[in-house]
Amino acid sequence: MTLVAASVGHPGRAAVVALVAVSIAVAGLRWLRVAQREHYATGAASRFALRWWTSSPLNALAMLGARAGLVVSVRWALGALATAAVVGLGPLGLAPRGRSAPLRWTRRLRTLAVVWGALVAGAVAGGVVAGAGPLSAAAAAVVAPALVDLACLLTAPLEVRLAGAHVARAAARLRRVHPTVVAITGSYGKTTTKGYVAHLVAARHAVVATPASFNNRAGLARTVNEHLGEDTEVFVAEMGTYAKGEIADLCSWVTPDIAVLTAIGPVHLERFGSEARVLEAKEEIFERAACAVVVVDDERLARAADRCAGRGLKVWRVSARRRDADVFAGAEDGALSVWVGGRPVAERLPVDVRPENVAAAVAVALELGVPAEEIGRLLPTLPGAPHRLERSVSAGGVVVLDDTYNANPAGARVALATFERAGAAARRRVVVTPGMVELGPRQGDENARFGAQAAAVATDVVVVGRTNRRALVRGARHGAGARVVTVATRQRATAWVREQLGHGDVVLYENDLPDHYP
Amino acid sequence: MDPISARQARVAVVFGGPSPEHDVSILTGLQAARALLEARPGLVALYWGKTGRFHHVDASLEAAAFIDGVPDGAQAVRLVTGGEDGGFATSGGRLGRSRTLPVDVVVNCCHGGPGENGALQGALDLAGVAYTGPSAAGAALGMDKLAFAGMAGAAGLPVLPRVLLRADDEDPGFPGPYIVKPRYGGSSIGVEVVADLGTAQARLGANPHLRAGAVVEPYRPDLFDLNVAVRTWPGLELSAIERPLRSDGGGEILGYADKYVGSEGMASAPRELPARLPAALAAAIAGAARAVTELSAARGVARIDFLSDGAGAFFVNEVNTVPGSLARYLWVDPPVPFAALLESLIEEALVAPAVRASAAGADGTVLRKAGGIAGKLA
Repeated sequence: MTLVAASVGHPGRAAVVALVAVSIAVAGLRWLRVAQREHYATGAASRFALRWWTSSPLNALAMLGARAGLVVSVRWALGALATAAVVGLGPLGLAPRGRSAPLRWTRRLRTLAVVWGALVAGAVAGGVVAGAGPLSAAAAAVVAPALVDLACLLTAPLEVRLAGAHVARAAARLRRVHPTVVAITGSYGKTTTKGYVAHLVAARHAVVATPASFNNRAGLARTVNEHLGEDTEVFVAEMGTYAKGEIADLCSWVTPDIAVLTAIGPVHLERFGSEARVLEAKEEIFERAACAVVVVDDERLARAADRCAGRGLKVWRVSARRRDADVFAGAEDGALSVWVGGRPVAERLPVDVRPENVAAAVAVALELGVPAEEIGRLLPTLPGAPHRLERSVSAGGVVVLDDTYNANPAGARVALATFERAGAAARRRVVVTPGMVELGPRQGDENARFGAQAAAVATDVVVVGRTNRRALVRGARHGAGARVVTVATRQRATAWVREQLGHGDVVLYENDLPDHYP
Repeated sequence: MDPISARQARVAVVFGGPSPEHDVSILTGLQAARALLEARPGLVALYWGKTGRFHHVDASLEAAAFIDGVPDGAQAVRLVTGGEDGGFATSGGRLGRSRTLPVDVVVNCCHGGPGENGALQGALDLAGVAYTGPSAAGAALGMDKLAFAGMAGAAGLPVLPRVLLRADDEDPGFPGPYIVKPRYGGSSIGVEVVADLGTAQARLGANPHLRAGAVVEPYRPDLFDLNVAVRTWPGLELSAIERPLRSDGGGEILGYADKYVGSEGMASAPRELPARLPAALAAAIAGAARAVTELSAARGVARIDFLSDGAGAFFVNEVNTVPGSLARYLWVDPPVPFAALLESLIEEALVAPAVRASAAGADGTVLRKAGGIAGKLA
């Protein structure tokens, strides 16, 4: 055996190190892309690496092979080649380039790639100098995702500094233009509520709202710097958060005049830990506001509203259940009714909307001085948000409900209710879903519950991907006699639907996971 | 000295701008860039953001790249005025040296706001950069509905009565219902039909587009739109007359969505082209279009909008000095390819510049005779 080792002399070892380096570069493309898609959150690459390598028996076996190769390379350089092959080619299913969202070589990614490359090169070079080149190369290959996370951690302070310049510019601009600021937060319903507010107020005021996904520090700064014209009178800012303190920081320069809290739910539980902590973080939005709009159907939010009132804010309590709330909006069988101060403003409008969000938006519009009659006239034309329960009919006569932008359990329940109504007379009713993510410790249960609810109203449930396969299948098989089908990707699911469904059938696409999820 | 030849000139397309028609302008600009790129691979695309900054962007981008704001990879540039080193200057990389983009002519694709009201034109004049489309004066006149109507009426052209809407007026001189329009602004935004003067005055306070001034004129549902485009280079030429159609067939006032929310902006809105009109009416409209072109000092390609009953009556409505899609879809007989239209605009911009500042006559005489300044103040 020693002969074999000795026969792979220095040129051989150098070749091995070079090959492993190439495979690390390919792997790097994958994990850098994951980091970019997860907004450079430290730890994301490792988390996804774990998910992917355990997502299928083949991948798990391959990773064992890679680790074995690493152990072997302590003595025999060729072991490192096995590691290289696995790390370069796998995990199966995660392509280096990406389908739905390829790697974008932005300045930030280039910086990250350079730092990561330096870490890898340093580790390998150190190993070569110490005479264990193949071993260190194989080790670097195996921990490539963790090194991406380390690079994220190291570059974070720099990015914060760079973003700071944009934030300072934006803050100055906001001070100069001084629009009335409406800040909206909540576990869900933010984007929809923001759209409704803009619609109800646009006829009276020059409104600028943050574009769809720009709800963090960098996104808000960019919106102000690129979209907030000198004539802006109302700025509607959606504020998202992953951690305590983020909203307070945003409010320090985007200071709300009106602060809206739409809902609290099990969203981003992975990072918060509990819904109580989610509420704490969201309540920061009221710290500097003069007026609060709160959807009080949830007990916890009702208490939050009381806390605001106690601190002297003007509070609008809105509800989708109680007609005596400051603003009530209810939807029965898809018909909207809106009451203000206990009196009806609109009755049984045939629009398909989220009533809690309508109620909140109406309160904001009233606070901004739009008369109730004018609001009543604008309600029939409320804009639907794209890909949120968007209804269309395919060329073959299949009714398609596109709810791919919804990612939370409450929205999923509403979608199932609409789906049930739409498919009452259909021969086949199909729910296509990859399940929901970022639900922390509750992910398994919530997905199982959704699987069961879907199976109760559908004839077929198509489970996409592996991320939530186990939980969804468990829930779906538990319930009524719906057929359960598993497919690897949404493309396969669409192909299945096109094959199987015909005129008059109904399909609901509930949520969609980007292709960096297994 | 010969001016720079159009073939050798370095061209930039400017689009966007702080105006409600910002998005439409992006479509016009990208279409123009695409048409010019084949013959001019060095074409510079300049995106004017909503907040006033200029950015150098890739000329072959698609509209989707602008949805969130400034596209990835854009480089900020400043418009520098005053002196021969005016133009679009980069802010200089790490070495801190700024450089001026090589631009001799700007193809102006900015609709509404400062891109069409003379502000951009004035700035480019001061920067020493030639540009297509109206001069500063022509642009300002074209954007002011009140001034334009007054001028056309005074010159003997048929116009509907159009007066300034004031909060305390008793009677505009003609009965309702009325159309209320922003005095300065794009052709469809902020336009409303109201039953009476009281409602119109209420809208003055409520509609944000009317804040800078509003005009009111009679609402005539019996009239429909007829548009014709004009080109001024190498000679005055008129396009066919089009009759724009509403997408759902109801009512007669074209809204923003009717005109712009098709896949190609204005170019894909439904229309009858050429419009089926009695020959006498078509000839009269053509004559009026020529007159308007001269009066409004139109330059480049402009679109003149008329109102008519289709029989014998017609009225001059307004002139659009930077029309949507640069009115390329109106040149059907003979057909003019978009690239050819753009090249003629570029040639005009170089050979017949919008304005030549002159200091002729300031030869020092006044200064020599001045004596002390204190003497002039007493």
